[in-house]
Amino acid sequence: MQIWAGFMTALVAISLWGGAAHVFSESVLVASPSGVWAFVSSNSGLLVRATLTTAQNAALGFVWGNIAAVIMAGLVTMQPRAERVVSASALVIFCLPLVATGPILRVISGPGSAPQIALAGLAVYYTTYLALLVGLRAMPRSWSDLMSVYGRGSFMTLITVRARASLPYLFAGLQIAAPAAFLGAMIGEFTGAERGLGVLTLRAMRGLDVDATWSLALISATVAVLAYALVGRIGERLVGYAPVIILSPPKPPTRRNIWPGIAEMVAAALFLLLLWQVAMDVFQLNRFFAKRPGDVVRYLAADADARLTLWVALKETMAATIPGFLSGLLLGAGLAVAVILFPKATRVVLPVAVALRSIPIITTAPLIVLALGRGATGTITVVAVMIFFPTFVACLQGLRQAPQQIIDVFHTYGAGPVRVLGAAQIPAMMPALFASAKMAVPAAILAVTTTEWLATGKGIGVLMALTSTTSNYNMLWSCIVAITLVAVVMYAAVLWAERMVLAIYASEQLT
Amino acid sequence: MRTPSIVLGKEIRCAGLTKQFDGAAVLGPLDITFIAGQTTALVGPSGCGKSTFLRLIAGLDLPSAGSVCIGSQSPKEVAKRGALSMAFQDPALLPWRTVRENIALGAKLARKSDNGVDDLIALVGLSGFETHRPAELSGGMRQRAAIARSLVSEPELLLLDEPFGSVDALTRARLNAELPPLWRKRAATTIMVTHSVDEAVLLSERIIVLSERPATVVADLSVTFDEPRTAKLIDGHEFQSRKAQVLRALGVAV
Repeated sequence: MQIWAGFMTALVAISLWGGAAHVFSESVLVASPSGVWAFVSSNSGLLVRATLTTAQNAALGFVWGNIAAVIMAGLVTMQPRAERVVSASALVIFCLPLVATGPILRVISGPGSAPQIALAGLAVYYTTYLALLVGLRAMPRSWSDLMSVYGRGSFMTLITVRARASLPYLFAGLQIAAPAAFLGAMIGEFTGAERGLGVLTLRAMRGLDVDATWSLALISATVAVLAYALVGRIGERLVGYAPVIILSPPKPPTRRNIWPGIAEMVAAALFLLLLWQVAMDVFQLNRFFAKRPGDVVRYLAADADARLTLWVALKETMAATIPGFLSGLLLGAGLAVAVILFPKATRVVLPVAVALRSIPIITTAPLIVLALGRGATGTITVVAVMIFFPTFVACLQGLRQAPQQIIDVFHTYGAGPVRVLGAAQIPAMMPALFASAKMAVPAAILAVTTTEWLATGKGIGVLMALTSTTSNYNMLWSCIVAITLVAVVMYAAVLWAERMVLAIYASEQLT
Repeated sequence: MRTPSIVLGKEIRCAGLTKQFDGAAVLGPLDITFIAGQTTALVGPSGCGKSTFLRLIAGLDLPSAGSVCIGSQSPKEVAKRGALSMAFQDPALLPWRTVRENIALGAKLARKSDNGVDDLIALVGLSGFETHRPAELSGGMRQRAAIARSLVSEPELLLLDEPFGSVDALTRARLNAELPPLWRKRAATTIMVTHSVDEAVLLSERIIVLSERPATVVADLSVTFDEPRTAKLIDGHEFQSRKAQVLRALGVAV
């Protein structure tokens, strides 16, 4: 039955695709199914080798990135005070524009696969970290009470209870991470690798080879979907029980003293500046392209024109980032709600969502911009496409965790699905929605800057690309600092909103 | 009349014990000494702070003022020795562990041997369900598993927060008959919160009646019957007059 449904979906998709290719046959936008088949069959050996190379790099990055995420989440769970510093550092490193980090990693490592693996790891560690952190905290108070009654501390609680209880969340994170690792490895290959799907994609795009671009996009989407499904299947096997349902009482209002929070933020900022300076010095990076914090401050203080250029570019970028961010979240949460209300839609929505998310942004961004124009609409759409999928997956999981007892209470009063949704399921979705909003901040910025660089020619993305080709490294680093600050401010806004909402709906998530 | 096996130096002294949440007093000040080896029932109106009192004794919450001393140790030190255990209102079973593994967890956490697990499983009537997971059990069965877990470590101090709340009447009667000899044999000091006055009179050697929030002691009654106590006791005059005494202290017209 399921195979039959999948077959029908594929058949419909191919027919629609063929129709679209026929309609757009004059443009360079859509390849025909026959063109893709011709390219794949005549280059099968090359494609298999490239896919294996990229998959291997992605797998290594996946492993390293997730190991880092597990260590960080464990540390923060045991030492909640460290959260702000660890989260802020993780966020900032995740926000570093790939246009800048890619070449730097290439310079540090020389030829080889290290940058691809590093970027794949960078693409996954943050999402896993956040998902795992939610999972490690998703523990009823009675469980930690049980551990305290036997005099066991936070480490034993982490090992015996939290680690196991977090598995459903960990696997939800790993599922999102699997396609992301593949995407990261491909972007890593753009920085000058010798083989891999990313190299072929770049070559196909530069040569305006539509058949090749579409073939590569389809192959990478297929691999990503398979990785997603595989991790999901392993998760189902390992978890093996219904996730824990938490009915936590609201916490009494916390004290209003803001100074410890500010002190932690200052500590995080200082730690990052130190990390920046020390990393540059340890690797003895050339001061010509590897600027230190002091260089950026001196440059921006001295040059009024530079400040203006940066400001104009930043405004353009923000005009696309914020609407795209919000519409992506809305789309993801909305689709998850739709799937809950119409469960049969899952079979159609999920594969489309995974495919849309896993086709590399490098290939989708120019296509979307070509279709929707170089204005804000195109960029906003790319951002929304980039972030709706993780939001959708997380929100769906959140909705499904609504306590059955509460749903039953509503059913005994004859409440309809919409009523149950509003009263029980959407509140249960809130922690997941905010966790995805946090992950979406860097993803939105990555999407906007990449689209600007590849397609629209506006904003800070293109400014970074231009300054790195004209060797204006002072401006490049100023851009990095500016975009990172934007990410931190957006993240802080999400955190603020989260505190307001979760204080009512999921107080166990607040520390 | 039974002489409780008093363990010298292990009594629980609560001195000036007070708990406030956001400046509002929920409990105390309470000055109570629980005698070692004795079973004490705490009864009081709903929401008066009985569970809070139990959490303070367990060291799960810190008092706003006053102190809890178990022998010469703090609750946390007793917990570290693995000499404390508690059955919560929520059974707090880990969903990925089987019944047997959940019960054995009590011994493991207290660093004791889990030899008694099978006997306890039989005692609480869960034989045949050893390999089931909590999701496959009824509410009452889960609570019985939680009770077994609290007993498996043979604690010196056993805290029970409405342990029989969702256990069916039949099993409840059986547990009422079989559990007290067990925890008395082990000389455990037992403090039990209960809503059932019958249960308090039947199971305990002392009943402390607490007032409305903030809880203070309104009555402190000793309960002495011939041992072993049986369900037949309930129909007797002595039982009924003791029960009436507790109800009057609770403000119920008898």
